[in-house]
Amino acid sequence: MKLSTKLTLFITGSKLVIVLLFVLALPFLVKQIASEYTNYTLKQQRKKVLDIVKKNGTDYYFQGEDNYGSYTMLKEEFIALLPVESSLSMDTIKNSQRLIERDTLNYRVLSYTFKDKNKNYLLEIGKTTASINQYNKPLQRFALYVLIILIGLTILIDLTFIRVLIRPLAKIIKTKLINRKFPFKDGQKRVQTSTTDFKYLDESLILLMSQINEAFYKEREFTSNASHELMTPISILQNKMENLLTDETLDEPSSMAIIEMMKTVDRLKNITKSLLLISRIENEQYIRKEQVKPLLLFNEIVEEISHRLEEKHIQIFINVSAEAILEGVNKDLLFQLFFNLIHNAIKFNRNNGEIFITDNYLNNGTYEIMITDTGIGIPKADLPFVFDRFMKTNLEGDVGYGLGLAIVKSIAMYHQIQISVQSEIGEGTTFKIVFPTM
Amino acid sequence: MKVLIVEDEKTLAHEIDSFLKKSFYLCDIAHTFKTGLEQLEQNKYDFILIDLSLPDGDGLEILKRAKKNNPDAAYIIITARTQLKDRISGLDLGADDYLAKPFYLLELQSRLQAIARRKFSITEELLSIGEFHIDLPKRVVMFGQEKVELSRKEFDLLSYLLLHKNRVLTRAQLSEHIWGTFVNDDYDSNYIDAHIKNIRKKLNVWADTEWLETVRGVGYRIKK
Repeated sequence: MKLSTKLTLFITGSKLVIVLLFVLALPFLVKQIASEYTNYTLKQQRKKVLDIVKKNGTDYYFQGEDNYGSYTMLKEEFIALLPVESSLSMDTIKNSQRLIERDTLNYRVLSYTFKDKNKNYLLEIGKTTASINQYNKPLQRFALYVLIILIGLTILIDLTFIRVLIRPLAKIIKTKLINRKFPFKDGQKRVQTSTTDFKYLDESLILLMSQINEAFYKEREFTSNASHELMTPISILQNKMENLLTDETLDEPSSMAIIEMMKTVDRLKNITKSLLLISRIENEQYIRKEQVKPLLLFNEIVEEISHRLEEKHIQIFINVSAEAILEGVNKDLLFQLFFNLIHNAIKFNRNNGEIFITDNYLNNGTYEIMITDTGIGIPKADLPFVFDRFMKTNLEGDVGYGLGLAIVKSIAMYHQIQISVQSEIGEGTTFKIVFPTM
Repeated sequence: MKVLIVEDEKTLAHEIDSFLKKSFYLCDIAHTFKTGLEQLEQNKYDFILIDLSLPDGDGLEILKRAKKNNPDAAYIIITARTQLKDRISGLDLGADDYLAKPFYLLELQSRLQAIARRKFSITEELLSIGEFHIDLPKRVVMFGQEKVELSRKEFDLLSYLLLHKNRVLTRAQLSEHIWGTFVNDDYDSNYIDAHIKNIRKKLNVWADTEWLETVRGVGYRIKK
């Protein structure tokens, strides 16, 4: 999962948990607040009432009656004052029922005893619980809305910030890690960032890439120079022997010796030529502008190589679409690529074996060709190295120089062709060649 | 035929010289850019072999200037620089052929012969061997009025042997001719033998081919 996705999920998740907790706690909280607030107002009212009572005197309220009561029309509040025994002392706030004009209603009642002129009085101030809780619902809803808006806002801010913060990393990944083509382009641009971690990562990557490039260029240059330098002495050797051989006075043993020497020189020449070919491909000295029909190419190769097929009684089955066409390629190089693969399929096949060449259009628009043989197979441990130069996996018999697949690999890389190999000992080997989308 | 060899590698120039002498070519050798130009001003040549990498100048420059003095000569570039752009600029400047080092002297001689046939209209295009006639431009082998079907490589082999008749050609020489610059990871191959076997089989249908000899351990020869 991408870092930005992870962070987004984490932030959104943690905020959701907070919202959930808040929603669960909200009714309780609101109730608590309403109750506290009611207690507070009741106490305030008590103070006011006591002040007024003190100013007016208790008698003012009783006027001959034995108690005093006052309530509003909707009976949401009431105030009662009555003399009580002097021993009674109260200061409580409780929920209790009161009967007012034949209606029994639930009230939150403040009961308070106080003395005035040596008499004990009880003051009760009540508020219907219904009126206390009437704001709970709207309050809850309002609080919820505010919370949601706030959370939404913070999520938005967080995500924007994360995006800005992570953008350099995304850029590093995009420019340096995804779709990178080897050799890397020179002069890789630094990613602008004030985050030192990213800066360090970016610089390390650039350094590594340039080191790899340098090593690759050096190797390429060496291969090119070495093979060029070898060509002249090989020429001299080869031509000297050729001249020697034309000498009429030469006896047969000497001629045979020269022939053997020429074979060795020829081998040396072919190795050098192969290395030169690889270095020329790596130096991009071939033009990739031709169109090739794979089917025609295979027919051509089979014609060239038919004597080898006959020799081992190998049957070749070509099941390739006649319409398939490859564009922007070098025909000679592709010929060489498939020639080498088919040649190997013959060389490492058993007598009376088979070779299958099939193709496939994949869903993502790419085109693949598979070359399968019924040969001796390649050991699992050797598979990762089959494309290496001078790698010979099967050392029995005629194995060539170990450059055939190295040439295949360099041609594939030059055409951005993906090549992979699967093999089963004793069963056979399959080379899969996937062409990029045209 | 007069040949100028412009090649800084003295041994190589000498080997080319001694090989071509046997085929009655008259050779001059120049080891440097300067002497090459001097020789060109003083003499007329039929063939000029130019090595591109000379110590004191570019072989392509010689080609350019020589074209002025010796417009009728045939030019063959020989070099280790088988790079595409050199090849293109060489042929653009009017070189007739191009040989990449290392090459067999036999191949060089064949190229000279081919150019001679083309350029100096030497018509030995209809070659014959035994009861067969070979038409090089049309690339067909005829037995009387009947056409003998040979594959491309088989025809190349047969005509090459015939052009160098009475001479033993090694498998390596033959394979260099028919494969050219193609790299074949197959050093001890018997594909030349396979092709020869096929040629014999196809020709034997019509007539005897005892003129096509196998020289044991060495190669093949057409004896006439």
